[in-house]
Amino acid sequence: MRSIGCLYDSTRCTGYRGCMVACKQWNELPAVKTTFFEGEGYQNPADLSGDTYVYMSYHEMIDPKTKKLRWVFGRHACMHCVDPGCVSACPVAALQKTPEGPVTYDAGLCLGCRYCMIACPWNIPKFQWLKALPEIRKCTLCSDRVAEGHPPACMKACPTGALTFGDRAELLAEAKRRIKASPGKYVNHVYGEKEAGGTSLLYLSAVPFENLKLPKDVDTEPRPHLTAGAMSAIPAVIVGLSVILGGTYAIVKRRGEVAEEKVTSGGGQS
Amino acid sequence: MNGVDFKFGKGSAVLLLLVLIAAVLAIIRFAGGLGSITNLNDGYGWGFWIGFDILAGIALAAGGFVMAAVVYLFGNEKYHPLIRPAILTAFLGYLLFIVGLIVDLGRPWNIFHVLVNWQHHSAMFEVAACVICYTVVLALEFAPNVFERFNWTTLTNLWRNLTPLFIIVLLTVFTAAMTHNVVWTVVAFLVLALFEVMVRAGAIRRDPKVPTLLIMAGVIFSTLHQSSLGSIFLIAPDRLHPLYYSPMIPIMFFLSAVMVGPAMVIFESVTGSRFFHRKPEIGLLSGLAKAMPWLLLIYIVLKMVELAVTGEFGLLFASGGTSALFWLEMLLFLVAFFMFLSRGVRNSTSGLWWAAMFVVVGVVVNRLTVAFMAHHVPGHTYTPDPREILVTIGIISAGVLVFAFCAKYLPIFEEEHA
Repeated sequence: MRSIGCLYDSTRCTGYRGCMVACKQWNELPAVKTTFFEGEGYQNPADLSGDTYVYMSYHEMIDPKTKKLRWVFGRHACMHCVDPGCVSACPVAALQKTPEGPVTYDAGLCLGCRYCMIACPWNIPKFQWLKALPEIRKCTLCSDRVAEGHPPACMKACPTGALTFGDRAELLAEAKRRIKASPGKYVNHVYGEKEAGGTSLLYLSAVPFENLKLPKDVDTEPRPHLTAGAMSAIPAVIVGLSVILGGTYAIVKRRGEVAEEKVTSGGGQS
Repeated sequence: MNGVDFKFGKGSAVLLLLVLIAAVLAIIRFAGGLGSITNLNDGYGWGFWIGFDILAGIALAAGGFVMAAVVYLFGNEKYHPLIRPAILTAFLGYLLFIVGLIVDLGRPWNIFHVLVNWQHHSAMFEVAACVICYTVVLALEFAPNVFERFNWTTLTNLWRNLTPLFIIVLLTVFTAAMTHNVVWTVVAFLVLALFEVMVRAGAIRRDPKVPTLLIMAGVIFSTLHQSSLGSIFLIAPDRLHPLYYSPMIPIMFFLSAVMVGPAMVIFESVTGSRFFHRKPEIGLLSGLAKAMPWLLLIYIVLKMVELAVTGEFGLLFASGGTSALFWLEMLLFLVAFFMFLSRGVRNSTSGLWWAAMFVVVGVVVNRLTVAFMAHHVPGHTYTPDPREILVTIGIISAGVLVFAFCAKYLPIFEEEHA
C-alpha cells in the first residue's frame, strides 16, 4: 500500500526556515517569544512546544573532513513512525496512524494522560500546559492537506528541494540512490529507515546525525512490540489465577471440613 | 457503639486546613492549566503526582488484596481482625487515587471513553480498566460494613447472592476488552462459572462471610493493576535509566506491592492504635512480620539477578544520582529485612513500626524514581513545585479524615480481645 513520507536532505538545506513559517500559518499557531538557552543549537524557538510543530536546529561544527567550521541544520518534528509507540500507548485511540501515513490526533477522545509523551523515542508530542482545555500538539504531516492531494505546508514552502514529499518506499530508494551517486558526500545511513521500526520521515546528512541533535541510539524495535508481551500475558493471568486461587480455596476449605469432622460431627462456623 | 474513640480536635483541624489548601490549588490548576501550579514541562510530562499519588499510592493500597487473599483464600482466619481496616484503606486509597488522577489528567471529562473504546494494545488502557474494575470490587468488599451498621439484612442477602454473578460478568467483559479474543473470553467465563456452580452445588464449601469470587476478582485485578503500572514504562527505554528499565518491571512492581502490602497493614495498625487509643493487635502483626523477610529477600535477589542478566552491575557506581537512588532503595529494604528477621523487633510495637516504615519509604522511593527521577530527557529538567506536593498532602489528609470518620461510625475494628 502507498504510504506517504518525506525525505529531508540536510545537505540541500540553507536554514531558511520557510518550512517553519508555513507550518505556523497553515496550523494557525502563534509565534513563540525568543529566548536564549543553554545546550545545543542556536535557533529560535529552542524546542518544539504546543505552539511549534517543526523547528530547524542550527549547529556550528568542525567538519571532520575539511577541518573547517561549517553550519549544519537539523529538522525536528513528528517522525510519523510506521508502527508508532504513541498510537499503541494511547488508551482511547485519540492518536491514530492513518493508512496514508500521517499520525493524527483527536482531542475529542484524549484524556490528557500524556502517556504518548513518555512513549515517543523522539519526545515529540507536546502538551498545552497553560490551558484549561489542553490538547496534545504535534505535526500531523498536514493530514488535512494530504487528504486533498496537496503536499504538507512545510514541503510546499521549501525553496531548495531539501524536502521531498512522496511515497515512503520511493523516497527510501531515492535516498539510497543519492548516497550511492555522491560517494563521500553523505553519512552512509538513512535516518528513519529502521529507527524504531522505521519512520515516514527519512533524513540524509553529511555529518553524523547526533550532530543535528537527533538521538543516535534509537534501536530498530518498533515501540509497540515493547509492551506487547506484557499485554498478551493478561488473559493467561486471569484464567491461571482463577484456577489457582479457586483451587487453593477449595483445598483449604476441604481440609478444614475434614479436621472439623474429626472433632465433632457436623456444625458449621459461627 | 461499635466504633473507635475519635473526636474532632486540633489534629483534625490541621488536616482539614491542608485539604482546603489542596482544594484551592486544584481550582487554580483547573482554571489555568497544569502549568499554573506544576513544574511539569514538555520534557517531563509526568512528575510528582504520577509518581506519588498514582504509582506509590496504588502500591501502598496493596494491603487490601494481600490480606483478603491471606484470610479468605489461603484460610488464615486468625488474621481476620486486620482485614476490614486493610480493605477500607485500599478502598479509600483507590478513591483518593482517582481524585489525584482527575487533577493530573489534562482532559478528565473524557475518561468514559476508556469504557467503550477498548485499546487492548495499550498498557495505559489496562491500567485504566483495572482502576475502574478494582474500585468496584473494593466498593463491594466494603459494602457489608455499611449494611451491618444499619442492619440491612435484605441488602446483605442480595449482596451475597448477586455479587458472584456480577463478578463473572465483570471479569468476562474485562477479558474480552483486554484480548478482543473469543476463545480467551469463553475460557475465562467457563472457569469462573464452574467455580460458582460448584459452590452453589455444595462441591466447594461456601464461605459464610464473603463471596469467594469477589475476593478472587480483587486479587486478579490487583495483580494486573500493580504489574501494569510497571508495564507502562516498557515502552520508554529511550528515557528510563537502564538501572530501572528492564522487561521485568511489571513483575518487580507486583512483587514490591505484595511486599509493601503487609508492611502498610503493620504501619497503619500501629499508627492507628496511637491515634484511636486502642491496643495494636501485636500478636497478629508479628505473625505477619514473619513473612516480611521472605518477601523482601525475593525482591532484593530478583533485582540483583536482573542487573546480572543485563550486565548492568557497573551502572551501580557510574550513574551519579540514579545510582544513589538505587542504593537508597536497596539500603532501606536491607535494613527492613534484618529488622524483620529479629524476634525482638517483631514483638515490639515501635520495632515493627520502624521496620514497616522502611519498606514503605523504600517502595515510595522506587516509584518516584521510575516515574520521573530516573528519566533522562535532553534539554529538560524537572523538580516538583511545592504546590504539587501540597496537593498530594491535601489528598492524603482527606484520606486520613475519612478513615477516622469511618472507623468511628462503621464496624471497621473488631472488639478488642484482651
